[in-house]
Amino acid sequence: MSSDSSSTSGDEFTNPNPNPNSTSKPLEDQFASAALTEPDNEPPEIQESPNGVVNGSVSENNHGEIERNERGGAVGSNLEARQSVRWRRTNSEVEVEAPSSPSSSGYAGERGSSSGSGSSGGFEMIGGGIGGDDDEIQEVSNVDSIQDSQASWMPGKRHVDEDDASLSWRKRKKHFFILSNSGKPIYSRYGDEHKLAGFSATLQAIISFVENGGDRVKLVRAGNHQVVFLVKGPIYLVCISCTEEPYESLRGQLELIYGQMLLILTKSVNRCFEKNPKFDMTPLLGGTDVVFSSLIHSFSWNPATFLHAYTCLPLAYATRQAAGAILQDVADSGVLFAILMCKHKVISLVGAQKASLHPDDMLLLANFVMSSESFRTSESFSPICLPRYNPMAFLYAYVHYLDVDTYLMLLTTSSDAFYHLKDCRIRIEMVLLKSNVLSEVQRSMLDGGMHVEDLPTDPLPRSGTLSPHLGQPRDSPESFREPFVGIGGPAGLWHFMYRSIFLDQYVSSEFSPPINSPRKQKRLYRAYQNLYASMHDKGIGPHKTQFRRDENYVLLCWVTQDFELYAAFDPLADKAVAIKTCNRVCQWVKDVENEIFLLGASPFSW
Amino acid sequence: MGCSSSLPDRSSGQLAGLNSENGGVSDAKNLRVKLVLLGDSGVGKSCIVLRFVRGQFDPTSKVTVGASFLSQTIALQDSTTVKFEIWDTAGQERYAALAPLYYRGAAVAVVVYDITSPESFAKAQYWVKELQKHGSPDIVMALVGNKADLNEKREVPVQDGIDYAEKNGMFFIETSAKTADNINQLFEEIAKRLPRPASS
Ligand SMILES: Nc1nc2c(ncn2[C@@H]2O[C@H](COP(=O)(O)OP(=O)(O)O)[C@@H](O)[C@H]2O)c(=O)[nH]1
Ligand SMILES: [Mg+2]
Repeated sequence: MSSDSSSTSGDEFTNPNPNPNSTSKPLEDQFASAALTEPDNEPPEIQESPNGVVNGSVSENNHGEIERNERGGAVGSNLEARQSVRWRRTNSEVEVEAPSSPSSSGYAGERGSSSGSGSSGGFEMIGGGIGGDDDEIQEVSNVDSIQDSQASWMPGKRHVDEDDASLSWRKRKKHFFILSNSGKPIYSRYGDEHKLAGFSATLQAIISFVENGGDRVKLVRAGNHQVVFLVKGPIYLVCISCTEEPYESLRGQLELIYGQMLLILTKSVNRCFEKNPKFDMTPLLGGTDVVFSSLIHSFSWNPATFLHAYTCLPLAYATRQAAGAILQDVADSGVLFAILMCKHKVISLVGAQKASLHPDDMLLLANFVMSSESFRTSESFSPICLPRYNPMAFLYAYVHYLDVDTYLMLLTTSSDAFYHLKDCRIRIEMVLLKSNVLSEVQRSMLDGGMHVEDLPTDPLPRSGTLSPHLGQPRDSPESFREPFVGIGGPAGLWHFMYRSIFLDQYVSSEFSPPINSPRKQKRLYRAYQNLYASMHDKGIGPHKTQFRRDENYVLLCWVTQDFELYAAFDPLADKAVAIKTCNRVCQWVKDVENEIFLLGASPFSW
Repeated sequence: MGCSSSLPDRSSGQLAGLNSENGGVSDAKNLRVKLVLLGDSGVGKSCIVLRFVRGQFDPTSKVTVGASFLSQTIALQDSTTVKFEIWDTAGQERYAALAPLYYRGAAVAVVVYDITSPESFAKAQYWVKELQKHGSPDIVMALVGNKADLNEKREVPVQDGIDYAEKNGMFFIETSAKTADNINQLFEEIAKRLPRPASS
């Protein structure tokens, strides 16, 4: 986007969109232009509006369930036939009961020939009974006191003593596997890879059986489990889940896991399999369990994993500019990307010329650096691959922590640029210290970003001097708050996420009561993730707004060509007020866009 | 360019490689040497460096990624100083092909094994051969048997280390990063063996 968009001009403020190209009208206009007459119990249909922005349908359902068509074209009809598949453990044989599928008998034969070295070959999907929204095991409580919160998450692989014969292993709610097309285990979220050789062989047999049959298995439903497959040349990735996440989301997670593997090894590992199909890849990934487990953990707390956007640490415009200027200086001296981050939030980033950095690459890189403790110990210089940039080649990453949470990454194509990058870092560090960027970063970490309680009232009477702004101390008498009953923000607004499409960035409000436990936060992200999947599901059609009400929340989603807004309200929130509130959120985001987004001079603007 | 122009002791912003920009040697009294640690993952390379540079031992394993860079200066009795610029490599298989990146141009290579692990001793011999083939011809090599505090679990006899080192013209020492035993001695001995530049 062009840099002039960063100035907030007064005559623009009726447009809630930070993008100048925007043609979208406020949300209530859209609902109004669609002649929405709010018959509260009847799902209203939104007609296509004259400007073509709203062309989906809004559906509301007071009983909580959103009608979803089947999983969309991608999964396809060939899987329908397999939906009744049940796998059972019978002494090391797999039985497939699929009455409508002629493939079962042939499949069993296939399995026999490929039975691996493991102790137990078969596996059984455990149907029913496991509730909650936690990925972790519920019943075996003595082993599993580990909570799913970000705070209490322990890095590293757990439950290595398990294998597919352990009850605890089989009750895990979400498994991830990487294996080779010859059935050799490469990675398993739970349990020791080598003990799972037999299980891997089983997965391999399923995939190759279907592939040989001409279609590609992508999703198998078994009871309340979904088994999602992703085939990447000689590498197979599998997720077995009973979390009820949409297929598209699970598949996206497998894509990220594959990307993480490429980040560590590049796609040239494929050559090892060309030379030797039985190649054992586990030694190549030695010591990286923690990288994968941290990525998998982020699927339940980091919306970047499904939004495909990154988020910035809120900072005064001048502060971010100061950081950007010194990074730009360095990029001009032959650094491909210069990235300054605080935890998973970007402070500033700069790319040489037209080099563009994909948000997924940033996610994977940040995950790699943050999960590998050794980066905190001292400066380092390591080969890494950015799969979206160039999956075949290593880049070299100079990584240095400036304080506990803030780290600088300088990426180069030159394998002997270390001393140059070290010098660059010293210069950057001096400038950042002098211009107080690092102390501002610390302050922002403490203050947090946007809080729904601070949502400004209607923008109309607002004068330039009183413009709401992130830096203002909360709870000050100036912060005008609407009287509202209960907790959260005005009109029962509990949380929101705003994704700018042109910027590849999103901002989400801080969590506040009642979304205040990790479990509730994870549940909300899952709900957003479902919304995201349904809004981007080509099989269903271009939904542009969605209103869902269930016993947990009212969820409102609004997608235009410039942005996507996801908002959660009190389940009793009034619909018209909620819609109005969404417009205010968009306006607010626009008002503070200088502080919450990295504008201009980004590698994404061409 | 001019990336390093504001820094007093850096000559220019040229891409100088992993070697120190001025070839690693300052003057006869103050040496600067590039040192690389090689050896199997888990033998204690990072612990040795952190014990030497920071005087610490952290038993929680932090697997090295790529290579870490640390430096430490020691003063010798003859009032010369030696600044070690240390590359602590990861030792994992995936980086084996990239190892030359770190040992190229190194004046010193410290090859480490774990005295409780014969596999790591075999791996150390692999690194020695690799260095003999591809390292600088005048590289100073040290063979280090680490985790000497675990003597009751020893599987590599001291004599095997001594013999192998002798055959390959290396300096040999057993250390413990945990107890700090012989850590400073290791680096002091290396410093003594460094070729001195002809004094001006
Ligand atoms: N007992 C004992 N353990 C050590 C010693 N040095 C390292 N370790 C342990 O060995 C493991 C691997 O050490 P690390 O330095 O990460 O190995 P690296 O992969 O060679 O860098 C760690 O758990 C250390 O605590 C030592 O001298 N004695
Ligand atoms: Mg190490």
